[in-house]
Formats: sequence, structure tokens, C-alpha cells
Amino acid sequence: MREAGRQFQIVLRSLWRGLRQWCGDSAYETYLACMKRRQGREVLSPAEFYVEQLNRKYSRPNRCC
Amino acid sequence: MFHEFAPGEEIILKRLLQIVAWTGVAALGAVALSTIALHRGEPINATWFVLAAVCCYLVAYRLYSAFIAAKVLALDNTRATPSERREDGRDFVPTNKWVLFGHHFAAIAGPGPLVGPTLAAQFGYLPGTLWLIAGAAFAGCVQDFVILFCSIRRDGKTLGEMAREEVSERGGLVAHLAVLAIMIILLGVVALVIVNALKSSPWATFTLAMTIPIALLLGVYLRYLRPGRVLEASLIGVALVLFVVVAGQWVADSPAWAKAFTMSGITLVFAIIAYGFAASALPVWLLLAPRDYLSAFIKAGAIFSLAAGILLVRPQVLMPPLTRFVDGTGPVFAGKIFPFCFITIACGAISGFHSLISSGTTPKMIQREGHARFIGYGAMLLESFVGVMAMVAACAMTPGVYFAINSPASIVGATPAAAAATISSWGYPVTADTMTGLAHAVGEQTLLNRAGGAPSLAVGMAQIFSSTIGGDRLLSIWYHFAIMFEALFILTVLDAGTRVGRFMIQELGGRIWKPLGRMNWMPSILLSSAIIVGAWGYFLYQGVVDPLGGINSLWPLFGISNQLLAAVALVVATTILLKMGKLKWIWVTLLPMMWLVIITMTASYQKIFSANARIGFLAQANALAAQIAAGKVAAEKVAEAQRNIFNLRLDAVVTAVLAVMILVLLVEALMQWYAILARTREPALRETPYVATQWAEGD
Repeated sequence: MREAGRQFQIVLRSLWRGLRQWCGDSAYETYLACMKRRQGREVLSPAEFYVEQLNRKYSRPNRCC
Repeated sequence: MFHEFAPGEEIILKRLLQIVAWTGVAALGAVALSTIALHRGEPINATWFVLAAVCCYLVAYRLYSAFIAAKVLALDNTRATPSERREDGRDFVPTNKWVLFGHHFAAIAGPGPLVGPTLAAQFGYLPGTLWLIAGAAFAGCVQDFVILFCSIRRDGKTLGEMAREEVSERGGLVAHLAVLAIMIILLGVVALVIVNALKSSPWATFTLAMTIPIALLLGVYLRYLRPGRVLEASLIGVALVLFVVVAGQWVADSPAWAKAFTMSGITLVFAIIAYGFAASALPVWLLLAPRDYLSAFIKAGAIFSLAAGILLVRPQVLMPPLTRFVDGTGPVFAGKIFPFCFITIACGAISGFHSLISSGTTPKMIQREGHARFIGYGAMLLESFVGVMAMVAACAMTPGVYFAINSPASIVGATPAAAAATISSWGYPVTADTMTGLAHAVGEQTLLNRAGGAPSLAVGMAQIFSSTIGGDRLLSIWYHFAIMFEALFILTVLDAGTRVGRFMIQELGGRIWKPLGRMNWMPSILLSSAIIVGAWGYFLYQGVVDPLGGINSLWPLFGISNQLLAAVALVVATTILLKMGKLKWIWVTLLPMMWLVIITMTASYQKIFSANARIGFLAQANALAAQIAAGKVAAEKVAEAQRNIFNLRLDAVVTAVLAVMILVLLVEALMQWYAILARTREPALRETPYVATQWAEGD
């Protein structure tokens, strides 16, 4: 029973993580992790990263008919 | 006791079980397909549609996509993808395949697969349903999958770049212009769908208008208060949007407020044009992005609810398999099944626009080449399923009601009594009282003459939803929820498309005069926004003043341009397969390409030259001109008729230009193919060189 509960928790956690990744909620965390691996580069603030990312995303076709 | 299997035996047994299971799925699909194809007389249950579609998709995915992945493309999981080699935390981000599937699906799913099948239902449920399933399996999914693969192998290059490098310089220019042309026509047509859904409807207009301040609020929240907290902001936004759907009823019930939000088609045209201009010129974080977040959540919720509703309610499909309009005399749009059913369905079976997504963000985020099958082929299967659900929703209403909503006044008559009499005389009984009663039940003054697919789909969805929750009491809320859902994500396509169109015009302008190409230079932003909005705005205006309701001429134009773009993508894909030395399997992309060229060329020819004035642009223009010359047009209507003549001739020219573009690309590609096959030219494949992945197998 306890094992089933643990499994359920794992499923819920990965669903939550997937949802955050899907909608872009965790984009900044992903960016920070990537920047950490490539040390020595200037890191953008959350607001700067958000605006920069949007400007890039909406300058090419990203929504279909 | 139990018999212990030896390892070899176990594998054979597993294989045997798989074969039995897949044979079962295929047999069930065949039974369901033949049931919907051969059924006559009594209404048929929608469950058969779901079964037929799902079984066919499973078999197509299991067999055909596996064949393409293994034999044709030879996907290689040991090869590092662009997201691994160029990871930057911004564009190139390795993403879990399920998340990327959701991402890709949210990008490709637009209003097309909802509107197209709804309009094609005028032929009956059968032609559209069969094409949605077969077209997706053999053409649409193949296009999305192969282009995604090609782009992955080229560091995420766009379709235009691949056309230039793999076909020819001119091929690249044609692809670029085709994208711009389809964008302009597409935006004009989808805006027309909104206008037809909102005109004279204070409830729907209020709800949609309120999504603008909600989006602005979210924009400020996400930019300044909680930067990038998309999930919490979207949840607040969705709650507010659901509230304004309900609040719309209070507005409709208040005479003063209802008057303020009751708008004519022309007023809505200018409001939408102003909105498009603002969304293109304003900073993207303020209006466009937050609306997109809202739309993504509501779209996912509405599609999931529609699927659940159909499975729970299992509605009867009242539309016959084939209607009398297979002869080409349909009131919604004119023309026979071939080619117009295929042109009308468009996105639900194959959409050229998807090739822009498959060669845009997705290839930069994919973790493994092997995921391309699930994401490219699989997401398009789901899109086709959305199309089948739209077909079920449209066909679950009484055929008489369907035709009353979708037929223009100039064909069936302007009053409820006249429309009911005409439609009943076609053999699809409906009364004026039924239409008035239904309009009141969904909280509208009238549902007549609302061609465009959105209102009839909303009625269908509302009937399915209200059978699950709320009954007739909530019919009006569900109807306006469905209208809001469709209009919201049409507006998202409109503002995102306008902005991309603006960039394309700035890029083209920059080639003529450098400062025009500076993306942040305000005069260039304003000028290019005005050009793109003016271009699609003209088509929108033309559609609203068209006596036949606009959809009749503009939706086929949209379908033709969309399918032409798909043909462009498949020409590029075929060229690449040939260069890869896959001559043996070239039919995988060549056959759908030839089919698309045949249907688009036939449709273009008929739309320009058909002697039938309801189909041919020129014939209709000439008929109008003859009426003016014979003095049959009232003096005050002459200017309007002349404007219509101009618009019809313009549509003929636009169709011809689109057809010439694909012919130019075809000639370019044929020359390339000939040179490769005759070995007069070495097939220079522009793939990124192989780099082995550093990731462990399970990553």
C-alpha cells in the first residue's frame, strides 16, 4: 500500500513537472541550469530572460491554422 | 503446475500475442470503418466514428510510421540532436518527449481542423471522415514527420532555408513568398470566422472583448510582478475568462449594455483590424504572449472536454453519409467532392502550415532522433482526431438546423420562414420556430446565416456538453463557452500571425532599403504592421461585404494556399529523400505530393475558370457585369456590385499567382531530380555532419 502511494506521488510529481515545462513556467530554471554548466557567462534576470524569450518565440511561426 | 517457458519460447509467445492484439485492433477498425461507410437509413452512433478513427490511427502508427522511421529515414538514436550539440537554455533545450509532444501539438492545433470538417459536413459525414483519417495517415503525418526529421538533421533550419539549400535559390524564394501569401489569406479568413460568430451577438462580443483587458493584466503581472510565472498567471486568467463567459449573459440581458456590444459585421471588421495592428506593434509581453498562454490552456481543456463529452454522451449522428450536395450545388460552398472536400478539410488531414512548426521550434528541442516519429507523426494523428470530433459535433445536429446556420441569406432567404422553407424543400426538414427556439436557448437573437463553422460547431458542442452537465439550462453558457474558445484561439492565430507577417515584410523591405529591415525601428514596425494588417484586412472586409457570405469564396482560397504550402514541403522532402539515396522509398512523399498538386491545380482551375458562376470567380464577375450592363442592378447598388466584381477578379489573380508559384517550384525540383537521376550532378546533401551522442541510452 505504502509502495503504491509512493508510486502515485512519483507520477503526480512528474505530471506537475511536465505541465510546468509544457507551459514555460520552468523555462528560467532550465536556463539557469544550462548557464551554470557553462560558467563565466553573464546571466539574465528572470524579467530580462522572460522578455528576451518571448521576443524570440513570437518572431517566427509558432501558432498554426 | 505452471509450465516454465524457455527464453526463446517466451519471445515467440510475446510476438504471437502482439500479432493477435494488432490483428484484433485492425479487424475492429475495419468493422467500424465499414459500418460508417455502408450504413444507410437510421442515425448511426458516434462511437463508431471514434472506434474507426482510433483503430486506424493505432495501426497507421504501429505499421506505417515504424516503416518510415526504420526504412525510409533510418532514424539514428546514436546521433546527437541539435538540442544536445547546441544546448543554450533558450532555443536549443533538450525536452522530454511527452512534454515536447504537448508543445508541438499546442502549436499545430488551430481553428482549421474545427472549421474545415464542419463546413465539409455539407457533403454528408462520410467523405470528410474518410479523408480526415486516410489523409492524416498517408499525407499529413508523413509531411510533419519527414520535415521534422529533415530539420533535425540541419540544426533546426526552416522550410524556406531547406528549400533554398536543397532545391534551389529560386525554390527558397517561392517558399518564402508562399508562406507570406498563405499567412495573409489565412488571417483574413479566420478573422471572417470570428466576425460571423460575433455579429449581432452582444454576449459573445462582450466575452471576447473582455479577454483583451484580461490579457493586458496578465501581461503586466508576468512582466513586472512575477516574471515568467506562467502557470499561476494562466490559472488566474482562465478563471477570469470563465467568469466573463457567464457575465456575458448579464450584458445580453441589459438593454443598454446589450446595445453597446451589438456590432455589425463592418464595425467588427474595423475593431479586429485595430486589434491586429496593436498586437503587432505593441511589445509582445503586453498582449500577444499572455493571450497565447490563456488560449493554450483553454484549447487543451476544451478539446479534452469535447472528447470526454462525445465518449460519455455517445450522440447519434443525424446527418446522412452523403447529402444531395455531392453534386456541387451546396449552399455552404459550391463545388463537387473532388476537389473541394479535400481543399475544405485542409488542416485536419494535411496542413502546409505544420511544416513551419516542424522546421521551427520542435527540432531544436528534440532529445533523440527516434522521438521524431512520436512527435511528428503522432501529434498530427491527434490533430486529425480533433477534426473527426468536429465532424461528429457538426453531424450530431439535425441536418436542417446545420444548413440553416451555415447557408448565406442570398441562397436560402433572409427571414427564418423563407430559410426554413428553402432548406425543407431540399429534403432536410426544419421550421422557423425550431431555429428561433434554438437561438433563444443558446442566448442569441438569431443563428441564421452564420457561415464559417464556428456557430454550428458551438451549437454541436453545447448540445453534447449540456447532455453531460447542466441540461438545457446551461445550453446558452456552453454555447458561449464554445464560441469564446474558438474565437480566443483564432485571435491568437491572428495576432501571432500578424506579428510574424510583419517580420517577414520587414525582412523583405530590408533588402530594398536597409533601415526597413531593422526590427526595432519604430517607423519600420508601424509601416510593416500597417501593410500586413491592411492586406489581410482587405480580404476580411471583402468577405463581410460579399453577398454570398464570404466563406463561399475565401475558405477555398485558404484551403488552396494551405495545401500548396504542403505541396512545397513535400517537394522539399522528396528532393531530400532522393539525395539521401532513398529512390526505392520515394513514393512515401512523392504520392501525397502528387495528390496535393492534382487537387490544388484542379481547384485553382475551377475557382478561376469554371463557367458556373457559383464556383468560378471570373464567371461570377462576368455575370455581375452583365447584370449591370442590362440595367438589372438598382442604381444605388451599382457601386457595390462593381466593388464585388473587382474583388472577384482579385481573387482569381491571387489563385493564379499561387498556382504559378507551385509550378515554378515543381519545375525547379524536377530539374534537380533529373540531374540527380541522370547522374549529371552529385547529390549534395546539406546535412550537419554526424556527431555521436554523449547521453546514455536512457536519458
